[in-house]
Amino acid sequence: MTTHDANVMRLGNKAHWKPENLVGSMSLKELLFSNDYRHIALKGIFTALIMLAVGGSFAMIFRAELTVPDVQMLGAKIYMTLMTLHGMVMVFGFLIPLVVSICYYLLPKVLGTERLYWAGAAQWSYWILIVAAVLLVIGRPDFTWTAYAPMSFRTGNSLIWMGHLAIFLVAVSEFLAGAVLVRNAFSGKGGWKNTPLIAWATGSVGFLFMASTFPLAFIGLGLLGDGLEITAFFDPSRGGSVKFFLYVFWTYGHPAVYLPFVPAIAIIYTLMPRFLGYPMWSYWSGVVAFVLLALGAMPIGPHHFQPLYTVSGPYERFVQFLTLLVFIPSVLHVFNWIATLFMKPIAASAKRAIPFKFMVMAIAFIVYGGATAFLNAQIAPDSDFIHNTYWIPAHFHAMFVGFVAQMGIAGFYFLYPYFTGRMYNQLLGNVHFWLWQVGLFLQITGMFVAGYLYFPRWVYDYLDIPGWATSQMVISIGGYMVGTGFIFFVINIAWSARNGKPAGDDPWPVIHDDKTAPSATPAE
Amino acid sequence: MENALGIWGPQATFMAITASFTVLGMVMLILAILMKRRWKPTYAFEFGFIAVMIGLVFYADWSSVNTYSAYQKDLNAEERSVAGNYTGEGEEAFDRVITVIAFQWGFAFINENDEIARNAAVVAPGETVLFKIVSNDVIHGFNIPVAQITAEIDPDEKRELWIRAPDEPGKYLIQCVNYCGVGHSQMKAWLVVQDDAATAQIDNMGDNSNDNA
Repeated sequence: MTTHDANVMRLGNKAHWKPENLVGSMSLKELLFSNDYRHIALKGIFTALIMLAVGGSFAMIFRAELTVPDVQMLGAKIYMTLMTLHGMVMVFGFLIPLVVSICYYLLPKVLGTERLYWAGAAQWSYWILIVAAVLLVIGRPDFTWTAYAPMSFRTGNSLIWMGHLAIFLVAVSEFLAGAVLVRNAFSGKGGWKNTPLIAWATGSVGFLFMASTFPLAFIGLGLLGDGLEITAFFDPSRGGSVKFFLYVFWTYGHPAVYLPFVPAIAIIYTLMPRFLGYPMWSYWSGVVAFVLLALGAMPIGPHHFQPLYTVSGPYERFVQFLTLLVFIPSVLHVFNWIATLFMKPIAASAKRAIPFKFMVMAIAFIVYGGATAFLNAQIAPDSDFIHNTYWIPAHFHAMFVGFVAQMGIAGFYFLYPYFTGRMYNQLLGNVHFWLWQVGLFLQITGMFVAGYLYFPRWVYDYLDIPGWATSQMVISIGGYMVGTGFIFFVINIAWSARNGKPAGDDPWPVIHDDKTAPSATPAE
Repeated sequence: MENALGIWGPQATFMAITASFTVLGMVMLILAILMKRRWKPTYAFEFGFIAVMIGLVFYADWSSVNTYSAYQKDLNAEERSVAGNYTGEGEEAFDRVITVIAFQWGFAFINENDEIARNAAVVAPGETVLFKIVSNDVIHGFNIPVAQITAEIDPDEKRELWIRAPDEPGKYLIQCVNYCGVGHSQMKAWLVVQDDAATAQIDNMGDNSNDNA
């Protein structure tokens, strides 16, 4: 294999497959139960978008409450239920399934296998997650997504066991998804030195899924048992230990943020060479970064409760140091992307493509959210204004929404002509794009400011302390812009599926001449 | 004003480093998209960049541990060799010792005369105050913004932290920052700084406080 062929394969800058009207030709039965990878992926993607609508509308409701001080419409109980469901639905129902489903779609295409190995496990993973979502909606837990013991089984809600059982089911579902990702990562034909970066990503994160869901399953069953007074793992009043809970939970809880993060990075490595028409700056830099990120994820969980300790002892210092070191793989990735963009002139067709725009802004947000993590990792500032103030939601909204969700949306726009046979509407796509960028920037910056002013997390009502109400107002304005952008997105994908301009054999040709670059705007 | 952690200097430094990295990343991204000139960085460039990052990792670790150890040293005034929780032997190093019970949902403050006040800790301006905190139900937080310090309190353990009270008399917020149940939003108290703290009547703090004295 020549270097050129190897690069084309490893770095995937060729068109892998042709558009088809998959959405128009499949039956409901196929969509729900077929083991074809495209059906499984589309089912996952569209379910994730429904979850985004549900979780997003919860946010729209409680944002209205938070915009100004005092209580207007929501009580503490309903606010906390909405907040808990917002977190759980968005992370477990939207972010992880969206990027994993996009990987289900991309892997068989990029690796040339044209099938998803262990598709049955992916099918079970999907349906178990649906059961978990139903349990959450019926049980209406208000213990936040971290479900800290012993608070999470002392909520006075007789259906709270459903929330604990849902946590266990999420663990089972994610374990199965991880197994599928690992199996398919090993299905490439060129050997490990030639396998595309998306396979390195899904392979490493798949192992992380499989290893880290054991602690989560234990947390789910342990809370269930403790709540029903069968076991006493985490209940201090009956001999359990809260510290034990914290260590077990965050052994899952930190890898949990990488479960959506790494597949989103995989989408960048797949899309970027396609739009630019040349390979990534470095293959091995990407490989090393994936391996380091997977290795670093599990031991650093305790940085989520650093202010629990009075001193930085050797173990706490070790955790702090490893946390700071996670910078290295993240910087390797970002460096690789920016270096790739710098290498050659960027095609006019890329600059015009909505998925490419989302991808560039996703990189901007990972820089914004990632740089602030340099402060979060240190015990001293963490014991000042960072721990559990709005600084933390600011950080993870930048990473989860600004980066992961925007990469998921970029992946969706990229795949759109492939499964509908038509292009999206360019104007609506641009409106969605700008509403999201401005909205997310306002929302995240407002959260950083609120956090710096010690605005605590998880409150439905707050004092009128200088700066607090203003930053909440800014966050709400940003939040509603993001919500409006989502409505434009839904209109776009619904309208364009029937009325969009038909896509050619290669929907993403690389064209440098500005005058001949294709516009996705349909011919009226 | 001097704060408990004494981290104004290091914190400002790290905020500046964070801000410059954010700006650097954004500028490089914008240049990569818009600049006419193209550039293919070498591996040496990346290794150099990573070396700078590793240097920053060591610096951040050193600075954070230094800051916190200095704070801790004051906490263990008489027993400097003891790491971890305060052992109770250096209490006389502080002007005032207050026992705090964090509960669902509020704080009870017990002063040296065993007088209990709900949601108000009364101290004199500028004095050093030691808080000995316990929780009897779930995990709570204990955050005093004006002193720039936060602790997380686990029901299994006792936790101490000290602050230097503000010089300016007034009411300063104390709040829980760990979600502890539906009453979390109401879990607030006041650090009341007044000149005659020793004999203060604290029944003028509104509905949320009372005084057993």
